[in-house]
Amino acid sequence: MAQTNFEKQINILDYALSSLWRHRMKSLSILLVFAAVIFLLASFQMVTQALSDKAKQVLAYTPEITLQKMSAGRQEAIPLAYKDKLAGIFGIRRVVPRIWGYYFDEVLLANYTVMGMDVEEMPEGSRLDTALASGKMPTPDEQGRVVIGHSVKKALDLEGRTTFSFFRPDLSLKTFTVSGEFSRSTDILTNDLIVMNLPDARDLYSIPAGKVTDLCVYVANPKEIDTIARKISEALPGVRVLTRPQIQKTYQVVFGWRSGFGSICLLSALAAFVILAWDKASGLSPEERREIAILKVLGWETSDILAVRFWESVIVSGLACMVGMTAAHIHVVYFAASLFRPVLMGWSVLRPDLHLLPRMEAGDILLILAFTVIPYLAATVIPAWRSATVPADSALGG
Amino acid sequence: MLIELSGVSKIYNQSRANEVRALTDIDLGVEQGSMVCLKGPSGSGKSTLLAIIGCIFPPTSGKAAIAERQLARLPDRFLTLHRRETIGFIFQRFNILPELTVLDNITLPLLPLGVGPKERKQRAQELLERFGISHRAQFPAGQISGGELQRVAIARALINNQPIILADEPTAHLDTALSREFMGIMQQLKATGKTIVIASHDPLVFEHPAIDRTVTIKDGRIHVP
Repeated sequence: MAQTNFEKQINILDYALSSLWRHRMKSLSILLVFAAVIFLLASFQMVTQALSDKAKQVLAYTPEITLQKMSAGRQEAIPLAYKDKLAGIFGIRRVVPRIWGYYFDEVLLANYTVMGMDVEEMPEGSRLDTALASGKMPTPDEQGRVVIGHSVKKALDLEGRTTFSFFRPDLSLKTFTVSGEFSRSTDILTNDLIVMNLPDARDLYSIPAGKVTDLCVYVANPKEIDTIARKISEALPGVRVLTRPQIQKTYQVVFGWRSGFGSICLLSALAAFVILAWDKASGLSPEERREIAILKVLGWETSDILAVRFWESVIVSGLACMVGMTAAHIHVVYFAASLFRPVLMGWSVLRPDLHLLPRMEAGDILLILAFTVIPYLAATVIPAWRSATVPADSALGG
Repeated sequence: MLIELSGVSKIYNQSRANEVRALTDIDLGVEQGSMVCLKGPSGSGKSTLLAIIGCIFPPTSGKAAIAERQLARLPDRFLTLHRRETIGFIFQRFNILPELTVLDNITLPLLPLGVGPKERKQRAQELLERFGISHRAQFPAGQISGGELQRVAIARALINNQPIILADEPTAHLDTALSREFMGIMQQLKATGKTIVIASHDPLVFEHPAIDRTVTIKDGRIHVP
C-alpha cells in the first residue's frame, strides 16, 4: 500500500513535470519573475549581513569611550587638560587625544575623513597600523606624512606620485606625503580616511595648541564601559560621552532602517508577484478545464489534481530559489551588490568600493523561503482547489 | 444484470432558477457482455445517462447499480474509485491530450493507481500492438491521424481492463470508413466479454449488427415506439 502510494506520488510528480513542460512559456515567465523576487530579497539579506559583519569588524578599531566637548548643543574643541581630570577614574587604561574632522574637496566634490592621532599611544588590539596594507603610520616627529584609504588614493589620482596638498582655513597650502595605505578589508572604516599625526591635523584645521576634537578613552575591562562612562559624565559635565556599544547600536539602527526600508520595497514586489501568481493560477483556459475534466473522468480524484498543482508549484519555487539565490550570490560577490549600494551605503560621498563576503545562515534561508515559497504555494494551490473541482461531466458531450 | 437503473431521474441545479430536468424515471438493464446503443437527438439526455452509468455523478432520485454496487448515495470519492475499476470511457472527439505522446495518453488512467512506468509501458505496448499503432507510441497525439486517434482512445479505455466500456458519440466526427472500423473494434471487444454502452444518433452505430439493443431517449425519458 505504502509502495503504491509512493509510486502514485512519483507518477503525479512525473505528470506535473510534463505539464510544466507542456505549458513552458507560462511556467518560464512565472519562474523568471519568481527568481527575480528571490534574487532581490536574497541579495538584500546577503548585503545587510555582510555589511553588519564588516561593521562589527571595524568597530574593533574604535575606542571604547569617546569624549567630545559640547557647547550650545554643538561640538567644539576639547581641552587636553581634561585628560588630567580623568586620571583619578579607576579602570581607565589610556586616554589618547584625537583630532577628527572632514575635508571637502571642492574640485572632486568629495568629503575625506581626516584623523590626527598618535597611533603608537593606542593600546594593542585597537591600533590602526594593524589595518595597513603597505607602509607605516606617521610618528609624532614625522611632519607631513599620511596614511590613506583606497578611495582617497583613487580620488586624488595618486597612482604615480606620493604627494598632495590641502588648503588650510587661511587658504595657504599644506603638503602631505603618503607613507602607507590601508587594507581593503577595513574599507568600511578606512575607505575615505586620511590619518596623520596630531600636530599636522592641528595645523591643517588651525586648532589651537592644547585642544583636540575628542579624547579616546580605552578601558581595562570592557564590561565596565558603562560604569566608567557614567563616572566620566559626572567628572566632566558638558562633555558628550559616547561608548562603543552606543556606536554599535547606531550602526545597527542605520542598517536596520536602511534594510527595513529596502525590505518594505521588496515585500511590495513580492506581494505584486503573489497577486500575479494567484491570477495565473485561478484563471483557467478552456484547454486546462478540459484537461482537468478528462483526467477526472479517467479516474483522477480532486486530490490527485491538487497534488499535480502542488508539485508544479514546488518545482517552480524550488528552481526559482536556486536560480535567485545563485544570482544573488554572484551579484554580491562579483558585482559588489551594485543594485543596493545606493540604498545601503549612501552615508559617504566617497562610497566605499567594498569587497563583500556574503553570509547566509540557515535562518536567513528559511526566512526567505517563508516569505516567498509559502505565499507562492498558497497563491497557487488555493485557486487550484477551485479549478480541481471542475465537474468531470464537462468532458462529455451534450 | 451488470448495469441496472430503476426510476432514475436527474435534475441539474435543483430548486434554483436555472433548474433543468435532464432524465425522468429511467428504467434500464444491461446484461454482461452485451452492446447497447442509447439513441436520441442532441440534448435528449443520452450523455447524462451515460454519466450516471459511468459513476461521474449519482442520480437525483431512483436506484442505479453498476456491477452490483449501488451508486445513489456514494460520495464523490468512492464514485471515482468505482469508475477507475469498472468503467472505460471513449469520448466524443476522443478527448486526447494533443501535447502528450500516444503512450502517455493511453497510460493516463494508470497514474493515480500507482502503477510503475515499466508496467504502464508494457500494458500500453500490448494494446498498441493489438490496434496496430505501436509505431506511433512516442508520437505527440496531436500529430497522428483521426483513425489512429480513435484507436488511441479505445486503448486508453481498455488500459485498466475495465469490464464496461462507455462511448459518448464516438463516431460524431468520423467519416464512414472510420466509423465502420470503430464499430468493428467494438464488436471484437464485445466478443471478449466486455459490456458496451454507446450513446449515438448515428445510424451506422445503432443499425450495426453487433448492437444487441437500442434504447431511444427523448426529452429525458425512454421512448417506446
